[in-house]
Amino acid sequence: MNGLVIDVAALWPALFPLLGIVAVLVVDLVTPRLRQAPYAVAVVAAGFGAWTSLPGVLQEAGSSRSSFCVGQQGWFSSTSAPPHIAPTCFWQADSLASGLQLAASLAAVVCLLLAWPIARSRADAASGAPAPARSGHTREPVEAVLLLAALAGTVVLAASRDVGTWLVALELATLPVIVLVALAGRRRSIVGAVQLLVTSLVSFALLVLGAALWFAATGSPFLDPEAAGGAAGSPVALDSAGSAALLALSVVFVVAGIGFKLSLVPFHAWTPTAYSGATLSVATFLATVSKIGALAALLVFLRAVAVLGTPGFVAIAVLSALSMTVGNLMALRQNDVVLLLAWSTVAQAGWVVLPLVSVSALGTGASAAYLLTYVVATLVAFAVVALTVRDSGAVGRSLVGYEGLWRRHAWRAGALGLALTSLAGLPPGVIGLVGKIVALRPVVAQGWVWLTVIAAANAVLGVAVYLRWLRPVVTSVAEPAEAAEPVNEAAGSAVVAGRALSSPRVRQVRRGAVVAALVISAAVLLVVSVQPDLLLGVLR
Amino acid sequence: MIWVVRLVVLLPALAGLAGLLARRTPLVARGVAVGSAVVVVALAVALFVAPMDTADIDSVGALPLGNLSAPLHLLSDQLSGVVALVVSLVVLTIQVFTVWYLRDDPRYTQFAATVSLFAAGMLLVVASADLALTLVGWEVMGWCSWLLIGHDSERFAARRAAYKAFLVTCVADIAMVVGFIALSVRARSTDLLDVLTVHPSAGTDALLTLGLVCVVIGVAGKSGLVPFHDWLPDAMEGPTPASALIHAATMVAAGTYVIARLFPLYAFDDAARTVLAVLAAVTMVYTALLAFAQTDLKRLLAYSTLSQVAIMLGALAAAPADVGPVPAVSHLVGHAFFKALLFLGAGWLAALVGATALDALRGRARDRRALRRAMAIGLASLAGVPPLIGFFTKDTAIDAAVEGATGGGGLRAWIVVVALFATTALTAAYCTRAWLLLDTPCPTPASTSSAANDSFEVEHGGTRARSLTTSAFDDGMPLTPLAVGEPGVLTTHGEHKPITLTASLSVFALAALTLFGTLLLLGLDGAVHVGVVSATVSLLFVAAGAFAAWSMSERGLRDAAERLPTRLRADAVIGFGADTAYARVGSGVTALARLVVVLDRDVVDAYPRATAVTARQLGRIGVRLHRAVPASALLGVVVGIVVVAVLGVTVWQ
Repeated sequence: MNGLVIDVAALWPALFPLLGIVAVLVVDLVTPRLRQAPYAVAVVAAGFGAWTSLPGVLQEAGSSRSSFCVGQQGWFSSTSAPPHIAPTCFWQADSLASGLQLAASLAAVVCLLLAWPIARSRADAASGAPAPARSGHTREPVEAVLLLAALAGTVVLAASRDVGTWLVALELATLPVIVLVALAGRRRSIVGAVQLLVTSLVSFALLVLGAALWFAATGSPFLDPEAAGGAAGSPVALDSAGSAALLALSVVFVVAGIGFKLSLVPFHAWTPTAYSGATLSVATFLATVSKIGALAALLVFLRAVAVLGTPGFVAIAVLSALSMTVGNLMALRQNDVVLLLAWSTVAQAGWVVLPLVSVSALGTGASAAYLLTYVVATLVAFAVVALTVRDSGAVGRSLVGYEGLWRRHAWRAGALGLALTSLAGLPPGVIGLVGKIVALRPVVAQGWVWLTVIAAANAVLGVAVYLRWLRPVVTSVAEPAEAAEPVNEAAGSAVVAGRALSSPRVRQVRRGAVVAALVISAAVLLVVSVQPDLLLGVLR
Repeated sequence: MIWVVRLVVLLPALAGLAGLLARRTPLVARGVAVGSAVVVVALAVALFVAPMDTADIDSVGALPLGNLSAPLHLLSDQLSGVVALVVSLVVLTIQVFTVWYLRDDPRYTQFAATVSLFAAGMLLVVASADLALTLVGWEVMGWCSWLLIGHDSERFAARRAAYKAFLVTCVADIAMVVGFIALSVRARSTDLLDVLTVHPSAGTDALLTLGLVCVVIGVAGKSGLVPFHDWLPDAMEGPTPASALIHAATMVAAGTYVIARLFPLYAFDDAARTVLAVLAAVTMVYTALLAFAQTDLKRLLAYSTLSQVAIMLGALAAAPADVGPVPAVSHLVGHAFFKALLFLGAGWLAALVGATALDALRGRARDRRALRRAMAIGLASLAGVPPLIGFFTKDTAIDAAVEGATGGGGLRAWIVVVALFATTALTAAYCTRAWLLLDTPCPTPASTSSAANDSFEVEHGGTRARSLTTSAFDDGMPLTPLAVGEPGVLTTHGEHKPITLTASLSVFALAALTLFGTLLLLGLDGAVHVGVVSATVSLLFVAAGAFAAWSMSERGLRDAAERLPTRLRADAVIGFGADTAYARVGSGVTALARLVVVLDRDVVDAYPRATAVTARQLGRIGVRLHRAVPASALLGVVVGIVVVAVLGVTVWQ
């Protein structure tokens, strides 16, 4: 066994969030009363993480930034491995993985900005409100640490190449989120967290089972094509057919286990509960960073088995079709925008795994591309919701709250319109359209006719889902709605007025972070909409 | 020389553009309009004197159309030289006349620019050696005609007439486009030479027949053959120079030129020529009859145009292959001169009198000697009196038709010959009637006032310079009873000629061309070919027609048309309800569209709506199934695992 070669430069995208965790704890120790400080540190850490993953994105296709490399094929079967084989690494970030890392870090930055805490003075002014007193001053650093931990797990997940790292990173990416959901402290959030926890436990069991089956079938802890192709080193004495069946079962279990994290039907039941229970920023995190981590994990596994040249996975096709249909049908009935986005996540997850039915480089690239378009558009939508909720209170969570938004806040409505049309796949959200075409291409190329038909039907349904939200935005406020609103708004507007009177500057700061989040995500969405090649080129 | 051909088309178009740019300064606009027309005449003379006999002049480069070649060439030969010269001459006289006629119109500049553009369209059709270019010129004319007819856009009648002309000709253009496509597909090229040199294969060539018949229908629209004829009389709502332009040498006559260009193909296709023959024969007789009954000078001239254009097309339909299209083009030339003369004369007269109704114009030409002579020459030429150009060109056309009939043209040619002779007599009759009305002094002025409010009167002051304020008629000519109730009067100078010297010179130039224009045609082979027998017979018909009209009018004392039954005459004036028929077709189409909308909304859309309802119901069921209970979530997970595992193992590879 040769020595371990560690390239620290490749590890920075994961190290920065971890360093950020330490820094947040230190800062909290030093100045416990400065509530924004942990977030500022976390934003900086995530930002550096994004910055350091850029070189990995820009590297040419085929190469990868590796670390933790050993000279031989593996420890367990070093005698049987040919001596000239390339060194194997526990950390391999090629451009696809780096792209996912970059997206996760940027999405985390936006989530952190959305979670930017309420200033102390405001907490004093509105002490009657139930929110602050409960968790004292410890909430902010805990939230920041948990977000950074989940981000670190996601980043590691994208680059992991062995079963052990893969499983640990997956848990690191999942468990903090459960705590984050519970931290909101409301009854609904506890329910959501419990549901999330239960489902996650079962899924993790499945994943471990899938990993064990992989090891049984291949005899290698490495999730790479060589291991899958040369399933000869299996410790269990099996003929090749038996080994292939084991491998198939392992793939299926892994798909099912990750289906939970991606909210694929029928593993999706936690999604609406957790989204509506969690705070908006955590819901955003669940909808974006978590999904990136899940897809990264799935891609690591699927790229390893791609070498088998299977014609495709019926299981994935069924899950994809079910997710799209159920997600869209349910989203069509929601009046709460967060729930609508939750079900939209389910539907979009179906689109994300759609191209994976063809196990090929085309399929994985298309899947990642679609995921990124979804993530950017969803970030914008959530940022608009956060801003609207801060402006108009609880009404901002229902579709009614968006009536006539175009007249009140043209820029915000424009951003929302771009996000919704991107999700629906209509111009001017060109990137959504491009994403749908890219996602459908491998499916059509492999001749999945029934799946293509279902996907096309769901594209139409999706248009209905998002236009249902967009219509009140662009139509002017109806008279009856205005007459009915003051009843609801009276309390909210009184609070708003109170805030504005007590500390206009603080309120400005509070909104500033959310506005920054919206501006960043909307700018990215606009750029990739105008020039879709930027996004597609990253994943080539 | 190549550039001369290009410039003949390009210059009027540029002049139109420049005229629009200079619309704030009428003086410049006048200079541009008239100056460019003079230059175009000079260029056209060059083309006429020394035709290049080539059809490979590049215009804007070939169109990249895959395996359909579209070189977009221009041509120059004897035929195009003659027609281009005539067109440019007529346009020049009209531009000069317009300077006077619309001198007080605030939108003179737009009008002059449109006339220039119109000329460019016609000259493009003339010089085109490519069906695509022909179509471009053809449509430019259609569009400009809409602008010109609707020039007095503040009047409802003018707007309606403009839309009517545009819609009717456009409907016919559908067939034109289909026909050009059929011909191009057949030759795999839009080039005229390619289209003509693909000779019919053995037996019937369905594509050729389709193409030629469709082109006939398209030409019928612009040239006003029978079902499409009714737009032209209404087009008289436009200012008189516009009428002269549309009628004399451009739009209406363009159909003749297009069919003349395609004549080698028509010569081989009896079916298309029979369609053309029947349409032309019916049109020439029917519209000549209608012309006789009209109460308005401009409408009379409009119907005569329809009749004369049908004569040209009839000559094309009946002429034998070896005679070719030259007789028709020859009559096009003759008609262009005398019809432009008649329209400008009528405009002059109407400007003096203040109306175009024949009753109002009674005897008005008598005491204006120059105008009287011009009108006499024009009407005589229209009637076919030798030695005016109308006699020669019409008898050349008749001779060609007779030759076709006796040379094996069969029933098709005989129909045309019979119609031609009938038309000759009728033309002489209505010309005589018009002349007697214009020249015989009005017996009792009082009787005209009752006719002034004639509901058939079409143009209410449309030909007048409307911007003249009423204060302008402080002296001079007393108001005729006609002018009562109509805004504005025409002249501030009473009995003196208000016309400028240049404008009257343009009319005289046309009169001279009508007298001596035959000499122009001598250069064109076969353009003047008068058979002794046919000329004699047609002269007899002319004399008979003129005498009949004269005797009906009791030596000019009465209107010959008053002898017709009142009811019949009233119907004839409104064109026997053709306008109502058009409106019915329009409302029929609208009703059909409504039916389609209903079908689409209530039948086709039912399926999408059902989908929406289904989706909503499924969503409701889904909401009921999803309660925030961990147990149900777990159940879903377990079911999912089983399904996925079974699928994964059984369907693997």
